[in-house]
Amino acid sequence: MVDDTNVKLISEKDLDEFVNKLIDNKTYNVMGVKAKGERFVFDHLDNAKELRLDYDVTILPPKKYFLPPSEKLMDFNITKSFDIKKSKKSKKRIIIGIHPYDIIAIQQMDKYYLDSQKDDFYKKRRENTIIIGSDIQNVSKHSFAESMKTHTTYSGFDILLTNLGNKYAVTIGSKQGNDLLEKYGHFRDAKKSELKKIDKIRNQIASQYDKKVDIDKEEWSKYLVANYNNTLWEEKSDKCMSCSSCTMVCPTCYCYNILDDVSLNLKEGGRIRTWDGCLLKDFTKVGSGEIFRDDKKERYRHRFYRKGNYLPERYGFVACVGCGRCAIACLPNIADPCEVMNTLSSFDKSAETDKYFIKQQTKVPDKGTIHIPRSATIKNINKLTDRETLIEIKLDDNKSLGHSPGQFVEVSVLGIGEAPISISSPPKKDPTFQLVVRKVGNVTSKLVSLKPGDKIGIRGPFGNGFDIKKLENKNIIFVCAGLGVAPLRSLYLYVTDKKNRKKFKELKILYGCKEPCEAMFLDEFEELKKTSDYECKMTVDKCPKGECWEGEVGLITTLFPKIDYDNSKSKDTISVVCGPPIMYKFAIKSLKDMKIPDKNIYVSLERHMKCGVGKCGHCQINGVYVCKEGPVFRYDKVKKLPEALE
Amino acid sequence: MKPKVAFFDFSSCEGCQLQIANLEEEILDLISIVDVVSFREVMKEHSDNYEIAFIEGSIMRPMDVTRLRNIRENAKILVALGACATIGGINKIRNQWPADEVKKEVYGDADIKDNRYFDAFQTKAIDEVVKVDYYIHGCPINRDEFKHVVTSLALGKEPIIPNYPVCVECKKNENICMFEKGEFCLGPITGAGCGAICPTHRSACDGCRGIISKPEVECVMDILKRYDLTYEELKSKSKLYNYSREANK
Repeated sequence: MVDDTNVKLISEKDLDEFVNKLIDNKTYNVMGVKAKGERFVFDHLDNAKELRLDYDVTILPPKKYFLPPSEKLMDFNITKSFDIKKSKKSKKRIIIGIHPYDIIAIQQMDKYYLDSQKDDFYKKRRENTIIIGSDIQNVSKHSFAESMKTHTTYSGFDILLTNLGNKYAVTIGSKQGNDLLEKYGHFRDAKKSELKKIDKIRNQIASQYDKKVDIDKEEWSKYLVANYNNTLWEEKSDKCMSCSSCTMVCPTCYCYNILDDVSLNLKEGGRIRTWDGCLLKDFTKVGSGEIFRDDKKERYRHRFYRKGNYLPERYGFVACVGCGRCAIACLPNIADPCEVMNTLSSFDKSAETDKYFIKQQTKVPDKGTIHIPRSATIKNINKLTDRETLIEIKLDDNKSLGHSPGQFVEVSVLGIGEAPISISSPPKKDPTFQLVVRKVGNVTSKLVSLKPGDKIGIRGPFGNGFDIKKLENKNIIFVCAGLGVAPLRSLYLYVTDKKNRKKFKELKILYGCKEPCEAMFLDEFEELKKTSDYECKMTVDKCPKGECWEGEVGLITTLFPKIDYDNSKSKDTISVVCGPPIMYKFAIKSLKDMKIPDKNIYVSLERHMKCGVGKCGHCQINGVYVCKEGPVFRYDKVKKLPEALE
Repeated sequence: MKPKVAFFDFSSCEGCQLQIANLEEEILDLISIVDVVSFREVMKEHSDNYEIAFIEGSIMRPMDVTRLRNIRENAKILVALGACATIGGINKIRNQWPADEVKKEVYGDADIKDNRYFDAFQTKAIDEVVKVDYYIHGCPINRDEFKHVVTSLALGKEPIIPNYPVCVECKKNENICMFEKGEFCLGPITGAGCGAICPTHRSACDGCRGIISKPEVECVMDILKRYDLTYEELKSKSKLYNYSREANK
């Protein structure tokens, strides 16, 4: 119901004048809905006459003003040691004509970007923007906003305009909106009859929707969970062009990519954030080239689960406002959530599922501006193998990194880019830490070519590490395969440390790699034996002729029967496992054979952790952000999580 | 030491090199980071001592093959510049007919026998003859992408060339979809990186950056039907730049 104390009346002519005054004022950049050919867009307004409040839907949502398709997060000069400048403030802006569904979409964006780990860039734009909404006058034939209850709104705007014929009702939504109207507008109070008319008009809007979703939005999640393996996903995605047009035009999609760009003189550069889309093939690609959602069926399905299950579980709302833009943009006509949910409505919503979908989320405390790295210096650099290098880094602010074992940092080489790398050293009080860097992509290739004294950028530590308290008074079996030894080293060096060793029972380290030339830290394992009591077994998949190797030959699973262990210890034993994706299945089977309960197994998973703060979407396994909820997971929590270990 | 760079052209309009010449004052930035030792379109000096070779144009004759192989041997890094070089492009239209027929059509009764300049075979893209390290697509190339590739190589990093379709950039530019306007556009199956320049200027995409995915015929037919377009239109549209890579019915 309309509250009469905050509704004013303005004539059509006076509304034009109000808008023109805002434009002439020059304090604000005034944006509004304008015609573009047969369609409509939000664009810069030069005159009130351009404003088209009778529009149906714009090509892009007003999201573009808060999260631009491309924006510079910071400037830097790569010829100087570590010279970064955060991008400047934006000018104050007024956006006129935003429909209720888009206002609600902005409120959803506020949750993603301002709830935890605030995005300063988004926040500033949001604070600098005044929203003048508009009730819908013409319903888009593709929209199903009424089913999503987003065809009207009573919050989220500074001012809302409702067309009452030759005059407009002006609902004030904030003090800012009130001040603006008082300063620039010529208006009067609304009469009782006019207030009634507003309600009547809003009811009429509801009746204009032909397109309806048969499933209540509260039920979307249930239907999706029960139909994860429905043939619908395959049938529809067969037609998908993987163009991600559906996500590009979506008012609630918020995934992004980040790239460094350098000017042709190789001096000035910038870190650029651009829109990205989960339907694109390379979205989940990691440095080593692996693509975790390679099948377009999985990508197609992911989008619907994100809208209807993952984000509702995380934030409490369906991340679709029913604007219908994706339905317009999708050439093969498979992107429309209304149609997909209506197809699902004929299936069972209560089918038993053994799939696990996330129910809880990790809250991460704010740690300053999210995408701006701290300056750090390379202290030492040691080649471990042909591919791997151990790099010791010191933070220039002389503060300790403060990480827990299993966490990772985002490492920047200005001009080249940023990459997530696991921390390989145990927690320490001094400002140094170590990373094992495998040369796979641009950033890692550059990192290993740097010299002591060179500057790099560090963000983090990020993610969920190992909970050391839960390991105390337990036997621990480390299963390290290949590069998996790098993150686990942060933990085994901690537990084998003289100061900590007595808090843990038997320690066993199983380490396997392909060939002897790829083995890392062999001397360190030997050295450790002098000061700490632990059992260590090693293996290589194969030992080429002429190479020297004292350990076993065979896959890592051949080591399990060789350790001093009997099943009676299983309840008191924890195993931590890290290695290439293919290894988990086999290592976990061996651990199960040893009767170690699933809840005593911890795995560390690799994904493309781009932002590190649960926003950019690249590392998502279903509804789980590996950069926040992982990379360390308890096995019983992820064993039924689709996409995790399959 | 600045890397030594050379530009070469084969069958082409040389418009992609012109794009580089059109960097204007930024040419000064370019020569501050690389030593240009050969660039026929803008300088008279030439040297065969270079690390990076940019090749414009398609390969048409045995003598081209010999010359290209020499360049490949001299260069550490070889970059194909523009559609003629990366995919054969417009030059491949003539591959619809046997080379002898084409020659007859063009040169009639002129005596071109045993003349190596006219010894043309079916058009080849550069990577059909030698290994190509990097591709700068487009007809013509996009200057920003050229700058990105040059700065990347100078910094020792892999250039990032999108492998997603033009639609991504077209949507970011908030264009009205060409299909909505009743035009056939190759944007959905053509690699991005051009900033969707053609649809942004109201001209449908002709696929000059190469077709990145061959969509299932059934899917394409659905789209054609939805927008009242014919398969013939798709075929003729693809022929312009992607003759040997056109979608098969």
